[in-house]
Amino acid sequence: MTPGETRREHHHPLRRVLLLLALPILLSLVIAGDLSGQAIQYERPVEVAPQEEDIGGGYVTPDVQKPKPRSYWLEILDVILLAIAMGVSVWLVLSRRSRKWLLVLTVACLGYFGFYRKGCICPIGSIQNVAVSLADPQYSIPIVVTAVFFLPLLVAVFFGRAFCGGVCPLGAIQELVVLKPVQVPNKLERALGLLKYVYLGLALWLAIAPSPERDFIICRFDPFVGFFRRTGFAHMLYIGGGFLLLGMFVGRPYCRYLCPYGALLEWCTRLARRGVTITPNKELDCGLCAEACPYGAIEDMRAVRPKCLYCARCYAACPREGPLAKQKVS
Amino acid sequence: MSDNMTRRDLLGKVGKGAVLLAFGGGAAHLIRKADGQIVWQVDAAKCINSRLGEVGVEACNLCTTDCVVSQSAVRAVNEYSKCGRCYICPAYYQVKSAVDEQGLPSEKLCPRDAIERKLIGESDPEDPANNFYEYIVDEAKCDGCGKCVMGCKEPLGLGSIQLKVRHNLCVDCNRCAIANVCPKDALAQLPAEDALEFMDLKSLT
Repeated sequence: MTPGETRREHHHPLRRVLLLLALPILLSLVIAGDLSGQAIQYERPVEVAPQEEDIGGGYVTPDVQKPKPRSYWLEILDVILLAIAMGVSVWLVLSRRSRKWLLVLTVACLGYFGFYRKGCICPIGSIQNVAVSLADPQYSIPIVVTAVFFLPLLVAVFFGRAFCGGVCPLGAIQELVVLKPVQVPNKLERALGLLKYVYLGLALWLAIAPSPERDFIICRFDPFVGFFRRTGFAHMLYIGGGFLLLGMFVGRPYCRYLCPYGALLEWCTRLARRGVTITPNKELDCGLCAEACPYGAIEDMRAVRPKCLYCARCYAACPREGPLAKQKVS
Repeated sequence: MSDNMTRRDLLGKVGKGAVLLAFGGGAAHLIRKADGQIVWQVDAAKCINSRLGEVGVEACNLCTTDCVVSQSAVRAVNEYSKCGRCYICPAYYQVKSAVDEQGLPSEKLCPRDAIERKLIGESDPEDPANNFYEYIVDEAKCDGCGKCVMGCKEPLGLGSIQLKVRHNLCVDCNRCAIANVCPKDALAQLPAEDALEFMDLKSLT
């Protein structure tokens, strides 16, 4: 288009009116064109997928990769390892009374159940699955999960919270950061201890809620699983870090005040006839064990088994047990 | 005193017996209705990105943003036997982009450039539009944003690309974080053997 032509068009009054009238139409066309917007008129060229014989040239359809989940046998092995670890925990604490070897077990279980298995298998979270499975006829859980839920409770009925000591990875990660634990005043301890029942109730309520509202908050707000997976939502990693920082000065805060499974273990432990004991005819009334216990589980020179987390610090600090006693002999 | 002790012992025994009985009963009930191994999987018939009739919407990328694994365990998977092997693949190309000098769209659809296009079969160099092309998702790059799945859906494509949970990447959260936010409740827990035959999931609803 030459400039002369444009000018002539510009000067023609009727054309100008027509152009003004046409402008909205043109504009709407442009917008519509933008919406459909296809630079090419795309149409699917085929109705059915061409197969090897249509494609020719010796073409072979590649297999679609279908990576399998972890083998079920390995999951069963996890349950067996859980049972063995609890057995070892009972033996080390009640029979050997060895803090040192319990620490070895703690690190091993943190490595395996925590960092290697990424915090699952987890009896704590399984509370929710068991609850839903009992409440909802449509929902069922693998036998492995049933076993993971009941095994630590069963052990607690006979020997106390052996699962908490050295086996549970959430406990283990907190156990290893205990630095300078303060004794929490009794009243505060008792009040905070009630929190876990509230948490347990809330978790059960939300777990058995019908599907769109169903939520597994114990898992969602697991403070340490992000560390085990080495990835996670930022807010949960901060909360986990906060628990570990707090855990330097208040021993195992998650276990004592929040762990809903701890609430169940506490009640099972009340039935246990064996457990960590301050032996009456050996004791010196020196109070070193109570001082050594970061979890406030020794009151009036007696072990409070429901609160005892099987860490064996009391035995390690005792002048008549463990390393101190051996030193005397030699 | 000794009378008191025996009573306490008796109470303890009764309590223990009751608890053990309850455990046994509960466990037996759970085992009777137990499943084998269960895993999470995307139900393609419910997923917005692959569900028919959901057109003209932006691809849903909640699988990318909400998975607890940093690069989502949900990835786009092309079932090759169902793929049209198109010259201009609406999952590979941004078909709305300007045409380049070869007559192909100038932009790709995948934001991570995770799809590879490969000429296959008996080919005619004179007529590229009449040849067949394989579209291979590089799963190391894919983060399950679903754009290609939306692009491949009927009527544009044959729907051979779907979002799938990769079981070697999934950490088997007790409650899948994506399931918590999925607007179509498309993530389901299935027996592992069913979840592996994932392209037939459409029939499972």
